[in-house]
Amino acid sequence: MLRIATQKCCDQLPSRFLPFLSTKSGAAVATRRHQSTDDKVEVFVNDKPVYVKPGSTVLQACEIAGIQIPRFCYHDRLSVAGNCRMCLVEIEKSPKPQASCAMPVMKGMRIKPDSDVSKKAREGVMEFLLANHPLDCPICDQGGECDLQDQSMMFGSDRSRFLEHKRAVEDKNIGPLIKTIMTRCIQCTRCVRFADEVAGVSDLGTTGRGNDMQIGTYVEKMFKSEMSGNVIDICPVGALTSKPYAFTARPWETRKTETVDVMDAVGSNIVVSTRAGDVLRIIPRLHEDINEEWISDKTRFAYDGLKRQRLTQPMLRNKQGQLVTCLWEDALPFVAEKLSTTEGSKVAGIVGGFADAESLICLKDLLNHVDSEGLCTEELFITDGAGTDLRSNYLLNTTIAGVEEADLVLLIGTNPRFEAPLFNARLRKSWIHNELEVALVGSKVDLTYSYEHLGDSTTTLKQIADGTHPFSKRLKDAKNPMVVVGSEVFSREDAFGVHAAVSAIAQNATVTSQTNRGDGGADWKVLNILHKVASQVAALDLGYKPGVDHIRKNPPSLLFILGADGGAVTREDLPKDCCVVYIGSHGDVSAPFADVILPGAAYTEKPGTYVNTEGRAQQTQAAVSPPGSAREDWKIIRALSEISGMTLPYDDLEGVRSRMSEVSPNLTRYDAVESANYFKQAAELAKLAKPQLVSKPLQSSQLSLADFYMTDSISRASKTMAKCVKAANEGLTPDL
Amino acid sequence: MGSFLKLLHRQFVVPWQEVVKTIRHNGASDGGYFPVLRGFFVQWARFNEPKHGKLVGTDELGNKYYENNRYFVARNRWVDYNKETWNQMWDYNASQVTPEWHRWLHYMTDDPPTKVPPTSRPFLIKHKRNLTGTKDCYVPYSTTRPKIESWKP
Repeated sequence: MLRIATQKCCDQLPSRFLPFLSTKSGAAVATRRHQSTDDKVEVFVNDKPVYVKPGSTVLQACEIAGIQIPRFCYHDRLSVAGNCRMCLVEIEKSPKPQASCAMPVMKGMRIKPDSDVSKKAREGVMEFLLANHPLDCPICDQGGECDLQDQSMMFGSDRSRFLEHKRAVEDKNIGPLIKTIMTRCIQCTRCVRFADEVAGVSDLGTTGRGNDMQIGTYVEKMFKSEMSGNVIDICPVGALTSKPYAFTARPWETRKTETVDVMDAVGSNIVVSTRAGDVLRIIPRLHEDINEEWISDKTRFAYDGLKRQRLTQPMLRNKQGQLVTCLWEDALPFVAEKLSTTEGSKVAGIVGGFADAESLICLKDLLNHVDSEGLCTEELFITDGAGTDLRSNYLLNTTIAGVEEADLVLLIGTNPRFEAPLFNARLRKSWIHNELEVALVGSKVDLTYSYEHLGDSTTTLKQIADGTHPFSKRLKDAKNPMVVVGSEVFSREDAFGVHAAVSAIAQNATVTSQTNRGDGGADWKVLNILHKVASQVAALDLGYKPGVDHIRKNPPSLLFILGADGGAVTREDLPKDCCVVYIGSHGDVSAPFADVILPGAAYTEKPGTYVNTEGRAQQTQAAVSPPGSAREDWKIIRALSEISGMTLPYDDLEGVRSRMSEVSPNLTRYDAVESANYFKQAAELAKLAKPQLVSKPLQSSQLSLADFYMTDSISRASKTMAKCVKAANEGLTPDL
Repeated sequence: MGSFLKLLHRQFVVPWQEVVKTIRHNGASDGGYFPVLRGFFVQWARFNEPKHGKLVGTDELGNKYYENNRYFVARNRWVDYNKETWNQMWDYNASQVTPEWHRWLHYMTDDPPTKVPPTSRPFLIKHKRNLTGTKDCYVPYSTTRPKIESWKP
């Protein structure tokens, strides 16, 4: 934790200001626009000259000089509190040691972090902190990754003078995710500041003062945030720990795999801790451009869904109509037989939200080989106008980090707080630090920041596009506007109409913002699509048809379902004799009506490529092996192709990926945002196709926190998520 | 003189008598070809040491128990495992000895079950040989919950 914090600190150092200089909240300011590059202040750390940006703190100057100052309350993504006193250092000409996290540097300042005064100050503070901290490290879940443990070893005294009784604090119940052992709390208030500033839910606070100070919710209630799990990471001691992970493992026992999350389209970077083939927990990994160091609760806690309702054996439907387990040697020839005897136009495939690009390209190649064009994604998008031909039509073009440069955001038909919590966290961050203004057309929801609600009618959209709405004026004056459309609007019958209206709004704003910035053709993109599922962008990049209309119009005799559990196609939509082949990891919505089940791997079990909503290709890594007889999805399809005599011309991951890059080169340029263009042409093509708008209000399906937790086959299988839904709906009960 | 004759008898006659007795004892009784010779060789192959003796009894599995006190203790009681089928003839195992005969065979008692029948109890089951390595062998199962719960349609 400390090491991560240090790295970040060095990266972000120049953009930090002190709380009393900040305008809106009291938090440190991090903006690209406010950066200056040249003027620096010289300070001396242990008599060594260091050049730092004016407005940096003493602690940051020491970091640059390569000296670690111990700290508990200071966290460089939160405002400075300065209440733990652990970062005291001696500064020349200062009568007492100063809290370096809150002390701005001055020219010629001589900082002495290694002096005897500094060391003695730390020892003293550590002694006071340990006076009330229980010595229960052997049974504490933070053991091994505890800042207090580490720093008491590094900076504490080697003996205790403590003889009195320790203070004890009652534990709080703040929901099914976070376990509190409040006696261990050292009142650093990081969790309170996280809740206030990043999560935007002021549920946590302090009561009492001095020795009686307590962190809590005042009355017993759930910490109602979609990002609540992050307080577990930022807590420097074991006061807030993970409830599902309690007493499970020590950090040194686990194997860590750095991978990518697929629970939403943001593609948060995560670390999966495993032991003996068992996923034990998921924690965030630093990625400044995507998730910073936070992840959503669904990402963090839905991992127990990977262990339930799994498809572990191939299954075939027998004559009595029951699914019975069989061997791969039985299932694959059965499907191969069907595939080679069915006419190409009668073969179709639907892909769901968890499909990786490797299996997408294999399925597409196989079905194209039998002359089938019925390859659809379950998630909807538009097909009229430029449709998916122009990549800019379906990406979050501004990028997630780009939000920090925006000054006006128009959200349309979306609730980013639950559809993409980390994108919403960025919006909130900009709202706090950059005076970002947000307006919303759609359901009135709590986004954790204030915004202008423009109603939920499509007429408003039309008016903004025409320039007759009052908001158009503000859009016109904006320098870096963003228009964000939620993917849910594409399930409307006038999806194309909405998209065309949004394109028009975005195109107008692009032109006006260029003039406002005065930079002519600078690279600022206005139109943004916020997807909900991880596979969608890769599927569209590979040329899948969005939506299942094609399948409804051309009833197939053989349907491949690649992990599509959104219920877009049911048995009733298909002809009676249709053979349904389900390839996926969970028995959820689609598996019960399948005729053949080929068990696939979940995202922690395969190296796969996923493209997030901003068009950034990232790869997951296999943390554990697929359970039972399950195999990686693309390997299943490759084996099927060989048995049916249409062998796909690749047989390893390298081969599949080189095929992927033939189709869409961006898919293998990992961690690079492949930006898109032709906004103007897309907007013009949209106009040509005569878009229509209906008067149905723009609504989003996830309105409250309870709607957030269970949205896909993994989170629906998760007991933890079920508990969260229960707690969010009915309030806390002792068993949660 | 008498003792000299006894010595001659013991040295030159008794061994041949023993050979003849052993051959007769081990003759096959299944009505096949060359019963005397074949039976002798089969037993030789099974035992390494063809013996003859008094049949003490037969257990419920068809194993025959013999005794001949002419041999040393520890070799004077033996079991001739059931050889009704070809498979049984060559695949035999010490665990085929039933528990009631086991006592007599291992000199825990001098009374074979034919003389002192064991108490019969309703819960006693028919003896089975050790089935390790066969398809009917005992397979232990895990009592811990599986890490992954499979979907049941």
